[in-house]
Amino acid sequence: MAVTVTQQTPFVVLDERDRIVGVGPDAESQFGPLIGSVMWDCFPGSEPLFKPYYDSARRTGEQLEFVQFYDGNIARVRAVPRAEGRLDLHWEQLARLDTLTLSGLVRTLDESLEHLAGARAGARRDEIRKTLRVIEGGAA
Amino acid sequence: MSNAVEAPRGAAPDAYIVLDGDDRITHVSPHLHHDLGSWLGHVLWDHLPGAREVYGPCFDEARSSGQPVESVVYYSGRVKRLTVIPAADGLAVHVERLAELDVTSLGTLTRSLAQIEAALAGRASGRHDQPRRGSPRALP
Repeated sequence: MAVTVTQQTPFVVLDERDRIVGVGPDAESQFGPLIGSVMWDCFPGSEPLFKPYYDSARRTGEQLEFVQFYDGNIARVRAVPRAEGRLDLHWEQLARLDTLTLSGLVRTLDESLEHLAGARAGARRDEIRKTLRVIEGGAA
Repeated sequence: MSNAVEAPRGAAPDAYIVLDGDDRITHVSPHLHHDLGSWLGHVLWDHLPGAREVYGPCFDEARSSGQPVESVVYYSGRVKRLTVIPAADGLAVHVERLAELDVTSLGTLTRSLAQIEAALAGRASGRHDQPRRGSPRALP
């Protein structure tokens, strides 16, 4: 898999129990206060979306990169396994939903969905787009 | 409070605010005091960016017709039933939350969009129920 997230992006370091043990300078404001906390406790609902990738990186010893939707954001994440089960996580935000108005939601959701790949995400994407078309039609 | 505002209170029993002609909040019902009490004396739009184009037409219609106006609108991730009741000394605005966007994951987003679609479809049906108890966190 091509790795495109650069070293300059924000990053955090997780220990083998997914506890935040390190924070890069660009992530300090968001994650600095969370050092010592388990990632999943800080971001409800995120574990099933991210942990399988992190476990895979640890298991294979190979870095991997994926695009995921969480909390209205779409980000490209790179997980780099280190010694003793640690992981470096770099990410790049690709899109963010604008939920303020219906027109903003429809526009940014359509843009955001473009970033998602894979069969499962594709099915969700098609379902969401179908619903959006109905909502757009009703709003017109 | 004058009798003019007592009538709206009867129609929108629990959660409502009253606006003057400049959309300044002149009264917050007890059910909303915890959330909106600090907005008293402020222009509504100063607290709700982008809301004027969503709520404003309903306010204008109620003021010009002198009749109550009910509409289902989307704003800030929520679909709401808006009931606007003109009175001599203000415009009583009651908001009932019907559906809410959940952007935690693609799955929750898909399900909540379907609920939003259904709520907005109710708008298209032209069927107007009597106002029910409003959410204590009705606005925004």
